Amino acid sequence: MTPELYRQLLATTTGALLLTAVLQVWGRSLLRSIALLAVQGAALAALVLTVGLHAGEPEAPLVALLVLVVKSVLLPWAMFRSARLVGETRERAAQVSTAVELIVAAGLTLLAYVVSGPILGPDAAGQAVPVGLSLVLLGFWQLLVRGSAITQLAGFLLLDNGIAAVSFLTSGGLPLTVELGASLDVLLVVLILGVLVVRLQRQQGHADITELRELHD
Amino acid sequence: MAALIWLPLLLPSLLAALGFGLRRRRWTMWLPIAAAAVVLLAGIALLVAVQGSGAVVTGAGLLRADPLSAWLLSVVGAVAVISLWGGLPEPGTEERAGGVHAALLCLFLAAMTLAVTADNLGLMWVAIELTTITTAFLVASGGGRNALEAAWKYVVLGAVGVAIAFLGIVLLSAASQGGGEATLSWTLLLQRAPVLDPALLRVAGALTVLGFATKAGLAPMHAWLPDAHSQAPAPVSGLMSGVLLSVACYAILRVQAVVDAGVGPELMRILLLTGGLLSLAVAAGLVLTQRDYKRLLAYSSIEHMGLLALGAAAGGQLAIAALLLHMLGHGLVKATMFVLAGRISSLTGSHRIADVHGLLQRRPDLGSPFLLGAAALLGLPPFVTFFTEVAIVVAGFSRGLTLPFLAACGLLLLGFAGIARQVLAMTVGAGRVRGAAGGSAASPSTAPGSGWPRRAPVVVALGLTAVLGFAAWPLAGTLLAAVAALGGVR
Amino acid sequence: MIEPLLVIVVHLVFAVAITPVLIGVMRTTRARLEGRSGGGIGQPWRDLRKLLAKEPTRAPGSTPVLVAAPILLMVSSLVLCALIPLVSTLALASVPGDLFVVVSVLLLGTVALALLGLESGTAFGGMGSSRHMVIAALVEPTVLLSVYALSVPAGSAVLAAIVQSRREDLSSLANPVSLLAIVALVVVVVAETGRLPVDNPATHLELTMVHEAMILESGGRDLGWLELGSWLRLTALLGLVVNLALPWAVARDAGVTGLLVGVAGTTVKLLAAGALLAAVEVFLAKLRLFRVPELLAGSFLLAFLSVSASYLVF
Repeated sequence: MTPELYRQLLATTTGALLLTAVLQVWGRSLLRSIALLAVQGAALAALVLTVGLHAGEPEAPLVALLVLVVKSVLLPWAMFRSARLVGETRERAAQVSTAVELIVAAGLTLLAYVVSGPILGPDAAGQAVPVGLSLVLLGFWQLLVRGSAITQLAGFLLLDNGIAAVSFLTSGGLPLTVELGASLDVLLVVLILGVLVVRLQRQQGHADITELRELHD
Repeated sequence: MAALIWLPLLLPSLLAALGFGLRRRRWTMWLPIAAAAVVLLAGIALLVAVQGSGAVVTGAGLLRADPLSAWLLSVVGAVAVISLWGGLPEPGTEERAGGVHAALLCLFLAAMTLAVTADNLGLMWVAIELTTITTAFLVASGGGRNALEAAWKYVVLGAVGVAIAFLGIVLLSAASQGGGEATLSWTLLLQRAPVLDPALLRVAGALTVLGFATKAGLAPMHAWLPDAHSQAPAPVSGLMSGVLLSVACYAILRVQAVVDAGVGPELMRILLLTGGLLSLAVAAGLVLTQRDYKRLLAYSSIEHMGLLALGAAAGGQLAIAALLLHMLGHGLVKATMFVLAGRISSLTGSHRIADVHGLLQRRPDLGSPFLLGAAALLGLPPFVTFFTEVAIVVAGFSRGLTLPFLAACGLLLLGFAGIARQVLAMTVGAGRVRGAAGGSAASPSTAPGSGWPRRAPVVVALGLTAVLGFAAWPLAGTLLAAVAALGGVR
Repeated sequence: MIEPLLVIVVHLVFAVAITPVLIGVMRTTRARLEGRSGGGIGQPWRDLRKLLAKEPTRAPGSTPVLVAAPILLMVSSLVLCALIPLVSTLALASVPGDLFVVVSVLLLGTVALALLGLESGTAFGGMGSSRHMVIAALVEPTVLLSVYALSVPAGSAVLAAIVQSRREDLSSLANPVSLLAIVALVVVVVAETGRLPVDNPATHLELTMVHEAMILESGGRDLGWLELGSWLRLTALLGLVVNLALPWAVARDAGVTGLLVGVAGTTVKLLAAGALLAAVEVFLAKLRLFRVPELLAGSFLLAFLSVSASYLVF
């Protein structure tokens, strides 16, 4: 792979990751969030393939396939199933308006660039680490401000995608066993949260978690 | 020898599959206890084995049992046995088919084994996340809105916290490239630590410890703990408080060893001191206002975890050895207390402290262990917690951390007062215990559930905690070996 | 010295000539898609001719703003057309078509129009002015950031230089930096020139007006200058966007063939872009004013991302 092509591909995939993360913040449709997550998973798989092929790893296509299957197919399917069971496709009004959310998202991306000083690596992939960090911060932000259980789940998956991006950009990924285990864990978390969401909806008639405030001191 | 690692991993998994497959049978409730017993026996056997011939490595280098792992495994087994045995439903009560419950508990034990015997930090992370997942359903199984809320908070906060730890581990892997190929093996990381990039190591270590501190219930990331531990069924609460928190602490110790070897002890010391003192403060402040006794026990767990964090911050042989012994003592006592709390709640039908009076008088088989267990939690002699708490404080002073540890003593005293007051109100206060079957005519010794098989786990646990402090000599060698396994630079 | 002046004259003549045609094409596209026959492509030109021949009605008690504002708008639009590389990228050395100069000139026209709206003293005029300024304020960061992002690989903030470097390095066109910046610029064009979904130029309902409300009280020659000035802004900004997105056929210098090719190329690109814009407008509804900040914040975010992406690759 020529260095130019490598840099272009890296720029395209990381750009797609960032764009899908940011578009998640914009808009209130749950189905759109899930679709964006699927696209993001595909972009992540492309990133894995690019970095892996450039480094000459023989198992790069396998890992990329694993990432694609889990993050682009299985997880969005599980979320879509939960959304359908709960019967909600649009989110109710969140605590902060969309414009504020978007500005804060821009600020968080900037923050990711500022704080990622010690983590930047020497090569092109290492320079792209702030993208992964901004995905992490955006995932946190979404977990914080959104009121629907399903968008909180989407925020968590965004967080996880960001961490996966950082892992592939800094060290070419983790051993296959750990990747498998981590994917399994995330899948199980999504499934469990899906079940809890359904139970939540049966208990209180809707899937908003803003009213879960009974237990406190 | 390697079989001693595979046994506690595979057998509980098999039992879990069995429990899930035959989930309608009543005898499935014995499966978790069998799994716990296997873990305990394997742990003790491993302790003996590794002291004789050094660490046991298996599974293509991914699994490794050194004295520290063996000790943790024994702690996990012991606490699990007490918790699950004591948490068995009363004979004669109709329990709904609990095969899935039993399967989840067995899976939990297998995941705990994997977490303590993994040499690869990533695998350790996977195992700890797996425990979140298995306990999530167990917490929600209490039914009702509060249990659901507790489970939701637990999963979300737990998963997020553990995700931060994953970010830290990913960065550790990146940092490890400074010494060769990227690796997550703890032994290799410890070897390479002095040559790794300090800034990256700092960030990675801080993030990992932050993530695992969330799992250990250290303030300010403790918000999920009171809810989850109070809403879960009693044996599950005991397991979570005794086992899960200790293993999260073990993970912190492992990461701390690597970071200290690389950049010196200051960073971890500051992080753990802050977490420990904040946890003590939170617990001391909130125990006085508790109205639910299970929540009270959860805050006591936060307090003890804070103490463990302070011990880890102090470092050195005395502190770490005391820390490890404290894990055992606290685990046993907390499991007992939760078992008793479960029995009290099924007796009085209420979770509130205000609804429980005069236990010592009315039901001494519940009241006296409860009082004794509370004494152990408060760190009164002759219980082992007295010795370990004193040891940690002395170690802190001797390492020059006078001011933080003075503050810790003050906060411990505050917590002492709060917990003592609540427990005394429950056990010694006047008033009638509201019997669920309306019978205060039943004499205490013939009350259902007060027979010897039911009292046994409680008595064993409390007895062990009372005796352990004096059995330090035989244990000293084991503990010191476990401390040395951490890489003894400190 | 002569050549840049020649280029500027060509720009001005071209802009003034093509503008009514562009507006006519856009209106006809929209009409045909909506099933109407429309007024024909030459109608805006005929309207302009009629208006410029009429005497303006000026109420007694009106300030010089009423006279000056249309001319100021016209002048600012012409300066914009002169500076933006519509046909050729040969720039005047003494007055650089810099990012900040362009934005300031845009703002000059905006403020002139807003003052005109206030001038009339009616409620609708004031309402239009305040809405107009809100949108202008919100869109300004986006303009600055997106052009800045495009200027990073080119090494210069002069628009002509940016277009030239993009023409020479074709791989920069499919870059995520470019794509994000162009998308953000399209939103800017829509917002600055008062097209759907920010403002409906064909509305008759005063309460929904932004741009039309400010020119309600003008008539005759004044209205002619105002209309032409606003249309010229559309030409200039749309021309900038198409030349940034597809920099082929833009002349390099002031040679006759180059200029002719440039004129032809830009005409085709401009009319196609205009028709596309009009076609998309058929399917859009005007946003409520409270939702416009969302749209502009989103475009700001895209511009911001393009700036961060430009540091990734370069």
